[in-house]
Amino acid sequence: MSDTLTLPRRPRRLPPRLRRNPMAALALGLLLAIALAAIFAPLLTSFDPYETALRQRLQGPGNGHLLGTDSQGRDMLTRLLYGARTTLMIGCAGTAFGALLGGSIGLCAAFYRKLDGVLMRLVDVLLSFPSILFGLSLAAILGPGLDSLILAVGLSVMPGIARISRGAALSVMTQDYIESGRAIGLPDHRLLTRYLLANAYPPILTYTTLAFGDAILLAATLGFLGLGLQPPTAELGGIAAEGRAFLFIAPHVSTAASLLIFAIVLSFNLLGDALRDAGDRRAQ
Amino acid sequence: MMVRLLRRAAVSLVVLTGVLLIGFLMLQVIPADPAVAIAGPQGTEAEIEAIRRHLGLDQPLIVQFLYYLQRVLSGDMGHSVINNASVSAELLRAIGPTVELMCAAMLWAVPTALALGILAALRRGGIIDRMVMTLAVMGVSIPVFWVGLLMIQFAVRTRAFPIQGRGGPLWTLDGLSHIALPATALGLILIGPIARMTRTTLSDALHADHVRTARAKGASETRVVLNHALRTAILPVITLIGLQIGSLMGGAVVTETIFSWPGVGRLAVGAIIAGDYPMAQGAIIFLASAFIIVNVAVDLLNELADPRLGART
Amino acid sequence: MPRPSSFPPPVTLSRLAGTLLLSCIATSALAQQAGVVTLGRTYDADRYDPQRSSSLAAAEVLYMVGDTLVTLSDDLKSVEPALAERWEVSEDGLTYTFHLKPGVTYCDGKALTAQDVVGSMQRWLTPDGPYVSTWKAGMVDSVTAPDDSTVVYKLSAPSSGLLFQMAQFNFIIIDPAEAEALGDDFGVTAFNGTGAFCFDSWQPNDAVVLTRHDGYDWGSPALGNSGPARVDKVVWKIIPEESTLVASLQAGEIDATYSLPSWSIAQLEADPSIQLAQPAASFRTHYVGMKTSRPNMGDVHVREAISHAIDQSAIADAIFFGTVDAADSYYSEAALDYDPTTDTSPFTFDPDKTRTLLEGAGFTMGSDGFWQKDGTPLTLTYYGFNSAREQAEAIQGDLRKVGIDLKVELFDSTAIWAKLREESYDLFQMDYPYLNAGDALNLYFSSASIPSPNRMMWNDPETDRLLEAGNTATTDAARSAAFMALGKHLHEAVLWKPLLLETPTVAFGPRIAPFSPAGISGAAFGTGLSLALK
Repeated sequence: MSDTLTLPRRPRRLPPRLRRNPMAALALGLLLAIALAAIFAPLLTSFDPYETALRQRLQGPGNGHLLGTDSQGRDMLTRLLYGARTTLMIGCAGTAFGALLGGSIGLCAAFYRKLDGVLMRLVDVLLSFPSILFGLSLAAILGPGLDSLILAVGLSVMPGIARISRGAALSVMTQDYIESGRAIGLPDHRLLTRYLLANAYPPILTYTTLAFGDAILLAATLGFLGLGLQPPTAELGGIAAEGRAFLFIAPHVSTAASLLIFAIVLSFNLLGDALRDAGDRRAQ
Repeated sequence: MMVRLLRRAAVSLVVLTGVLLIGFLMLQVIPADPAVAIAGPQGTEAEIEAIRRHLGLDQPLIVQFLYYLQRVLSGDMGHSVINNASVSAELLRAIGPTVELMCAAMLWAVPTALALGILAALRRGGIIDRMVMTLAVMGVSIPVFWVGLLMIQFAVRTRAFPIQGRGGPLWTLDGLSHIALPATALGLILIGPIARMTRTTLSDALHADHVRTARAKGASETRVVLNHALRTAILPVITLIGLQIGSLMGGAVVTETIFSWPGVGRLAVGAIIAGDYPMAQGAIIFLASAFIIVNVAVDLLNELADPRLGART
Repeated sequence: MPRPSSFPPPVTLSRLAGTLLLSCIATSALAQQAGVVTLGRTYDADRYDPQRSSSLAAAEVLYMVGDTLVTLSDDLKSVEPALAERWEVSEDGLTYTFHLKPGVTYCDGKALTAQDVVGSMQRWLTPDGPYVSTWKAGMVDSVTAPDDSTVVYKLSAPSSGLLFQMAQFNFIIIDPAEAEALGDDFGVTAFNGTGAFCFDSWQPNDAVVLTRHDGYDWGSPALGNSGPARVDKVVWKIIPEESTLVASLQAGEIDATYSLPSWSIAQLEADPSIQLAQPAASFRTHYVGMKTSRPNMGDVHVREAISHAIDQSAIADAIFFGTVDAADSYYSEAALDYDPTTDTSPFTFDPDKTRTLLEGAGFTMGSDGFWQKDGTPLTLTYYGFNSAREQAEAIQGDLRKVGIDLKVELFDSTAIWAKLREESYDLFQMDYPYLNAGDALNLYFSSASIPSPNRMMWNDPETDRLLEAGNTATTDAARSAAFMALGKHLHEAVLWKPLLLETPTVAFGPRIAPFSPAGISGAAFGTGLSLALK
C-alpha cells in the first residue's frame, strides 16, 4: 500500500537530529536489524519454520538450536524470525491503513468545517473503545485471520491519527496561504494534498511512529489472547501464548517471544519520542 | 456554567448513542442469525420464526435499533447463547471485581507515579529523572501479558501469592493476597505516563511567573513546590489519569484473563472466544459507556477546579 | 450502576504493605480442615442436572450426589446392582423389571419410591424438552410403577446396551417434585439426591460444596465401601489455570485432582508427597474423523493414505509426555465386544504407504512438493478444538512432510459444534468417552445420525444392518457377534484415524488414603465413597 502520509518528502533532515539522541539512534539500529533479519529470514537460517520434529520439542538453547526448540520441535530462532515477519507485516499494513483513513478524516474535518462536528463525534466514539477490546470485537466479528487482524489494528490506531491530523491541519489552516489558495481558485484536492498535507505531516508522522509501536503491541496481544492467526503461521504473540503452557518446563519459548515484542515496541517508542522532542524543539 | 454542563451532557449522549449503535451493528454483521443462535442447537424453524418476531427482527433496521435502545435502557441486554444467563446479571456480577482491580491498581500506582514525577522534576537530569523517563517508555512498551507471565513464574516458584481468581473481601488477607499480583501488573501501565506528565507539567510550573514571584517573596522551596507549582501542575495530570482509564481497561482485559480475575474484561474475552455474541456485545457496550462517563466526569471536575479551562473552550 | 458490593474501604498505604507481607505467609500456610477433602479441576459445569448436561464436569459431581439404578464393575464389563437390588429382563428383551432396595432416602429425608424413578424418566423423555442424551434410554414405550418398590421399563425395540447405559450419570434418579418446583434453577440452586453426599452449595466457576449423606448404606458392594462416606465434606474447587492447579496440589491447598497438564505428571511422580493412580478401565479415545462426502475423501485409499501419514505414537510420547497410549483402533482393545482379529494395519504410521496409495489413487507429486490430481492440489481443511492446538499442529506437520497441505481451523468448545455441522471441512479431531464397543459404535456411524454426530457422512446399509442386529440382540453372544462384525467392517473402511487412548491419572496428596479410581464416564472419584483421609 503506498501511503503519502507516512512517507516524508525530505528524510534527509532526520539523521542529524537522531545523532543528538543516541538512544533513538540505537533504537533505529535495532529496528533496522530486526526488520532486515525478518525480511531475509530464509537466508539467515537453514531451518524450515514449519518442519515439525515432535521428539525434539521444548529443548533449551544449545544442541544445534541457538534458542532451543518450540512445542513442535521447530527451531525457535527460525520461528521468531518468521514470527517477527508476520507481526511487523500486520503492524505495517494495519498502521498504514489506519493512517490513510485517520489522516483523511482529520484533514477533511479541518478543511471542510461543516463535516468537522460529525467526523469528530465519530472519532470520539471509536476513541472510546479501549484498543484491545476494539481489536477483540473486530477479530471476533470478522473471524480469525490476517485480514481481520490488519483491519482491527488499523481501525484501532485510526481515531488517534485522525485527531492529531485534524489538529495539525487546523493550525495550518490558520495560516494565510490556504485562504489565498482558495482565493485564486485552486481546486480542493490540490489544496488538501499540496498545501495542507505537505505542511501538516510532521506531527502526523510522529504520531504514526508512536502508533506503530501500539499497533505491534495490539497485534501481539490479540495473538496472545488466542485471536491471532491459525497454525502453523508463526506470529510473536501466538508464540508467547504457546509457551505459556510450558512456563515451568520450557520458559524460553514465551520469554524469547515476549522479549522480542518488547524490543520492537520499545524501539518504536524511543524513536517516536525522539521525533516528538525534535518537533518540540523546532516549535520553540 | 449551566449551559456548558448541558452541552457536554448532550454531546456525551450523542457519543453514547454512537457506541450503542456500533454495539447494535456488531450483532447485525456477524454471520450467525441471532434468532438461530438464541434458539440453540435444538431450535425448530417455528421457534426461530417466533424468536425472530419476538426480537423484532422482521422490522426495518432503524425500528430494530429503537427497540434495542429501549431494551438496553430498561436494563435488558439479552441472554447468553451458551447458558442462557442474563447478560445484565452477569455484567452486574463482573463490575465489582473490575472496579476493585482498577482501583487497587490506581491506589498504589498513582501515588507512586506522582512521587516519582515530582522527584524527577525537582532534579531534572538526575538519576531519578533518568529512571522515570526510562520507566515511562518501558512501561508503555512492555506487553502486559509478559508482566503477568513473569509474575506467575515468580509466584509459583516462591509460592508467595495465589495467582488466580479473587479471594474474599479486600479487607481480609485472602482478598488482599489474591489481588496483589493482578493489581501490581495492571498498575505498572499507569506509572510511566503519569510520572512523565507530572515531571513535565511540574517543571514547566516551577518556571512560571507566579511561582517565581512566590520564590522571590521568600517562600520556602517546599511551600513553592507544594502550594504554588503543584497546584497548577496537577490539573493536566488529573486529566491524564482520566484518559488513562481507557488503557487501564485495556490492560484489565489482559490482566483479568491471565489471573482469572472474574471481571468484565475476562467476561468479554471469554464470550468473544466462545462466540457468545450477546454477552460480548453487552460487555463491550458496558466498558465503552463506562469509559465515556468517566471521561465526562473528569472533564467536569477539571472545569470545576479551574474555571479558566472552561473559558478556553 | 449499582454500588459494587466489595468496594475497597480506604486503606492506608503502609497498612496495605504490611498486610500484603503478612498474607504471603498466610496463603502458604492455608490450613486444611479436618474431615474435608478438596478436589481440584480446571473447569465447571453450566448446571448440575443429569438430564440437561453432557459434560464430565457435571458427571463428576452428580455421581457423588445421586445414584443410578445399576452400576458397572471396575473393568466396565458386568452390570452391578445399585438402587435396584435385582432385575429381570423378558425373553423378547422388551421388558425390564427393577426391584428397588428398601430404605433408600433422599438428602431431605424423603424415602425413594418407584414413582420417583418413573418421574425422573418422564421428565427426561419429555418430547421436545431441553434434555440431552435421551438416545441412551433406548426406544422407551413406557416406564411404570406397579408398586412402591418395582419399576417396569418397557421398550418398543430391544436395546442390548441398555443396562450398561443405565450406569451413566444421565440415569441418576432425581427428585421429580423438586425439578418441577425449581424449573431452570434445578441443579443450579439445589439438587436433592440419594447419593453418598448432599449438594450443599455451588458458586459457579469457584467451588461446589458437598456434605456427607448420613445414613447412606446402599452403595454397591462390588465397588468397595457401600457407605456411609468416610469424609464429612467434599469441596470441588475450580482452578482454571493448569499450572496453578499443579502448584496448589504440591502446596497441599487441594488434596487430589486429575485435570492435570501432561507435563506435570513426571514432575509429580518425582514428588514423594504425591501419589498417582489410574482406574482399572476407563475409555476415552482421541481420533481424526474423515468426511467421506468431500472431494477425494470418498476414496478409501486416500483415507488410508492420510491415516498412514500421521504418527500417533510421537503425539502420545511428545505432546502427552507418554502419559497416554497411542491408539490403533476406534475403541480400546480392552472394551467389551472388541474383536481381537480386527485388522488395524491401515492405522500404522508408514509415510511410504501414503505415497504408494496416493499414486495408486491417481495423484502426482507437484513441483511445489504437494500432491495433486488433474491440476488440483490435495489441500484439506481440518476443524479442531482450541484446547487441542498442539495435536492439530503435529498432524499438520506430519501431513506436510508427505506432501498434503492441511488448513487448520480451531474453535472454542462452545463454538465448534455448530461449525462441525457444516459441510466445509475434510478432517476433524475430537475425543469421546465410551463404555464398550456397542456404545462407541452406536453414536457415530448410523446413517440416521447424518450429519451430526455422524460427521463422516457415512451412509452404509451394511453398517445400519449390523447396528440394528447388535442393538436388538437378546443374547450376549448375538450382540457380541454383531458388534464385532460391525467393528471389523468399519475399521476396514478407514473412517477415523485413531490417535490416542487416554486414561485419567489421579494425583493425590499426603492426606488421602490410597484408593482405586472409578472408570465410568471418566469421573475418577466416582461416588466419593472410596475417598478417605489418612
